[in-house]
Amino acid sequence: MKKEQKILADLKDVFEISGKVKAEKRISIKTDKKHVSSILLYLKTQKGYIHLNHISCVDFIEDNEFEMVYIIWNPKTKLTVLVHTRIDRKNPKMENIDAIWDQANTYEREIREMFGIHFPGLKGRKEFILEDWQDIPPMRKDFDTQLYAIEHFHSRPGREDAQNVREAIQQRSKEEIPEFAKKYSRD
Amino acid sequence: MSILDLKGILSPLGALKQIGKTPHTITFPDEQKRTSERYRGFHYNSLDDCIGCGNCSTICMNEAIDMVGLAEINGGKGDSGLRPRVDYGRCCYCALCVDVCPTGSLNMTKDYVQVDNDPFTFLMTPGKDNPDAQERISFSADLESSLNVFDRVPMRELDPDERVKSFAEVMLGYNEEEARREADRCISCGLCTEACPVHMHIPEYINAIAKGNDNDALQIIYDNNDLPEVCGKVCTRKCEDVCAIQVRGETVAIRWLKGYVTETVNNADLIKKVVNPEIREPNNYKVGIIGAGPAGLTAAYYLSLRGYSVTIYEAHKDPGGMIMYGIPKYRLPYDSIQKQVDYMKKMGVKIHYNTKVGKDIQFQEIYDVNDAVFMGIGLQNAYTLGIENEDADGVWSAIDFLKKVNSDEKVEIGKKVVVVGGGNVSIDAARVSRRLGATVNQSYRRRVKDMPADWEEIEGAEDEGVVFMPQTIPTRVVTDENNKTIGLEYLKAEMVSQDGGRPRPVPIEGSETIIECDSVISAIGQQADFGLLPKEIMEELEMNRGKIAINDDRKTSIPKLFAGGDSVRYGNVDAISAIADGYYATIGIDKMLMKK
Amino acid sequence: MSKTREKETTLYLDPQHPGITGNMMIKLKVKGDTVIKAETHVGYLHRAFEKLVENRNWLQSFTLMCRFCVPEPDPMELTFARAVEKLEGREVPERAKYIRTIVAELARIQSFLLWYGGQSGSSGLYTLGQWSVGDRNYILDLFEDLTGARIYHMYMWPGGVRRDLPKGWIDKAYKTMDYIEGRLDNYNQLLFDNAIFQKRAQGVGIIPKDKAIEWGVVGAPLRGTGIKHDVRIDEPYDAYDKMKFVVPTYEGGDVWARALVRRDEIKQSISIVRQALDNLPEGSYYNRIPNPMKWTVPAGEAWVKTESVRGEIGFYVVSDGGNKPKRVHLKGAAYTHGVTVLEKILPGQNIADVSFILNSLGVCPPEIER
Repeated sequence: MKKEQKILADLKDVFEISGKVKAEKRISIKTDKKHVSSILLYLKTQKGYIHLNHISCVDFIEDNEFEMVYIIWNPKTKLTVLVHTRIDRKNPKMENIDAIWDQANTYEREIREMFGIHFPGLKGRKEFILEDWQDIPPMRKDFDTQLYAIEHFHSRPGREDAQNVREAIQQRSKEEIPEFAKKYSRD
Repeated sequence: MSILDLKGILSPLGALKQIGKTPHTITFPDEQKRTSERYRGFHYNSLDDCIGCGNCSTICMNEAIDMVGLAEINGGKGDSGLRPRVDYGRCCYCALCVDVCPTGSLNMTKDYVQVDNDPFTFLMTPGKDNPDAQERISFSADLESSLNVFDRVPMRELDPDERVKSFAEVMLGYNEEEARREADRCISCGLCTEACPVHMHIPEYINAIAKGNDNDALQIIYDNNDLPEVCGKVCTRKCEDVCAIQVRGETVAIRWLKGYVTETVNNADLIKKVVNPEIREPNNYKVGIIGAGPAGLTAAYYLSLRGYSVTIYEAHKDPGGMIMYGIPKYRLPYDSIQKQVDYMKKMGVKIHYNTKVGKDIQFQEIYDVNDAVFMGIGLQNAYTLGIENEDADGVWSAIDFLKKVNSDEKVEIGKKVVVVGGGNVSIDAARVSRRLGATVNQSYRRRVKDMPADWEEIEGAEDEGVVFMPQTIPTRVVTDENNKTIGLEYLKAEMVSQDGGRPRPVPIEGSETIIECDSVISAIGQQADFGLLPKEIMEELEMNRGKIAINDDRKTSIPKLFAGGDSVRYGNVDAISAIADGYYATIGIDKMLMKK
Repeated sequence: MSKTREKETTLYLDPQHPGITGNMMIKLKVKGDTVIKAETHVGYLHRAFEKLVENRNWLQSFTLMCRFCVPEPDPMELTFARAVEKLEGREVPERAKYIRTIVAELARIQSFLLWYGGQSGSSGLYTLGQWSVGDRNYILDLFEDLTGARIYHMYMWPGGVRRDLPKGWIDKAYKTMDYIEGRLDNYNQLLFDNAIFQKRAQGVGIIPKDKAIEWGVVGAPLRGTGIKHDVRIDEPYDAYDKMKFVVPTYEGGDVWARALVRRDEIKQSISIVRQALDNLPEGSYYNRIPNPMKWTVPAGEAWVKTESVRGEIGFYVVSDGGNKPKRVHLKGAAYTHGVTVLEKILPGQNIADVSFILNSLGVCPPEIER
């Protein structure tokens, strides 16, 4: 764990971050969004983390925030650093890092399309995976896929006689389940 | 490559070395390739083994399985009556449904070809639409590979050699972690609710325990059972006999989970705070209840919640009836009952103790003053053995014996005891006698596996040193010159099978044996004591095989008289049936009085 | 040359092109026979799995994972299972680790055999494709006996594997390995000793060695530039730390080097399968999960990598402590190969070489858009 601790201490020295060594070869740090590109550039040019593994985004709707995660790898020491940052959900904007790595363009285009985050200066067609999409960005948690399917497609007939096992038993034995207990019933 | 590349020109000539050799053949067998023994094709469901629990339908992530009713399947008694139907337009053949089937009736076969112009044939009911597929079953889940957890979390008990020295509670109960683990095993099918006499909402409270919401679980339980701690310790658990998991494994410990929840609140004030039931405005009706057993207490509690003014008349000095005076304290401690009755008193129930109807107060008075009367008088009189010298000193009826012990009275039973009988009462008498320091032999007409007592009680008795004497029929009590018991004579019996019926015990001629003992305790059945009822009522009262006849609302043939508990039930009687009678009588009384 | 021949035209390499491995569109700007600019368009295979698993509990979502990639579904299942095990801290029994290694390597072999068909077919040699796909069937037979399905196995789930090895499977596996090894010489003769293929593959589609890692190249294309990286050695998982194998690298960075890397890797895979079968330990094959409808995974995140045929795939899984995943995000190797790297190395190439290079990079469009 020595190499991991060393990198973490180094980063803490230079930037305002908080973080810890999560597991063998995994260092997880959390920082403010304005420091992200400097940290990534520092790690890439000074510390040898030249491989961008992944850029991901998680929707924390309960905190009203998106979390962006940048995962980078050092081919010599084989360590991976995960950089986390939070951005506001109402007006999401994040810095465009495709000047540091070209392939970040692909990741950011997808995140822009799926989550609706704005990356200033991002080149490339607006549509990446979806086509003629009119609804809200679909990977957000407030987009309900089941509701969308019910509203836009008609279901096949032939399955209307499906019954619920709990209800069938309840009706036969004339059991009345109180309202406050119904949330614990199966489906 | 230039034209002078010799290797390129000459290398095709290397093919000449194949002249004369037999061609390389990739084996192409003539017979059709066999589908593997684990192939995941269409489903096959054995309609008889399937219990309709719906677990397959719940886990299917494509929502491809519907539960539908079939004309040839009737529900009830551990079968919901529904069977799965698969929509093959959606099925992805992942076989998770096969892995979670608790009975192992759902399997997959080697069939995978279905060509038809009619799309509705792709909605197949496996087992009904393809009965011949049974010969081609391939993918199945046995006990080891099934996703259900078949082993119960074991219940810790006191060591048998230590526990015979006292009346400390034998079962130590689940702690929080064990309860959550046990509650996780439940698949929430709901088959148990049909078997429970009062239809408790079992999957709901088990799921509340699994999520960690013990308070919600207690509230759900109190919706139709006001003696849950009693049930949580001594119920006969008809629910566990139809649990989906017990078909191939050990049933979910519904009783112990109920006991766990009730032990999270340890006094009546906490019960009131957690349960917080809805109480209606007081109406002006009065209801009289005879007997503070489980039936009477339940009726009183639920009637109080509905705004009635309720009074209970109890002949003994403590509430509980047979559960207080019949069940030994190592199964159900005194504090348990007191705690629950205290809570009921906080809800407005009034109990008059030491008031025997027929002696201290007349039945007619109760009948005239109240708008409805509920009788939960139980079975107070024991059947006699019907053998010679059974009035000797040292011959007890089990319920008298247990009542004395539970009332903390001193009982002399000597050093050697023989208990006669095979039900729960006999086992209770045997284990209490062990705790009073005696060696115990138990005589039963049939074999041990025919005994109607709870298997856990029989095991507990064996661990504590009770010796069973199956297939023995007592004939005579042996007494000394002071009419004191010194032994019991019995005949051995052999089981003779009847044509198609249960085997009967037939006494073997000349096999009389005498066993030495100081006491004989008989537990062979009880009957009700109707002495409290006046003659005119007794003549009008309709009976059904020796017990009071009632309809679904627990109403008797006498106007405004309701009854419940052991005195109305034929066959195996238990506390939960009495509680159910009390609950449904409440609904019946409410229906009758609110109609006016 | 008349001016019209040098005019720039736009050529759409459509999703239905036989040279495309999957369904993906490459919009090419060509001048004569040479490609000037390439642009990748994906979106024909989007099935929204990452959104679907947010409504399914952990065990139900495992059945969706294998469908990410059609030619090689096993590494997806394996990586997801490992990610969930890492979140929970669940130990996998030894026998299950060995079985997983065998299944992963068999999946590599059958994927290479399919690649043979694609690589040689896009250069005009169609015989090899017929042979290799036919031989691939023997491995699919092995899978059918073991798991019950030929392509989408749904076999490696969190906690171990789903069923134990059936009777007679080990013998059949040895026989199949012997057979495939015997066939490799034929493939070599037909493809690698073939001067036409050598002429076409050498010097085409070069990835520069100094820029490769920065561009995000992984897997066989990276080893074809001379850089030795393999997830099975960097972060060994399952039983790979007990296996002896060599990671071949070749200099050059062109299609020829990548093909040589893959040729040598098949032999290594066969050797790993044999070693694992020889040393298979006894014991249980599954560390049971509790009742699947109520199974919750502790909160946290996990980033797990596996070496698949295409390269390194990674799963980023976030759990919030409930019984449904919060976020599952797959990073396939084809994500960078198929979009950025392709757009960088195609300018200057011949049109006929476009699908040739695509096959050599091992691009799998279902992986790009999930």
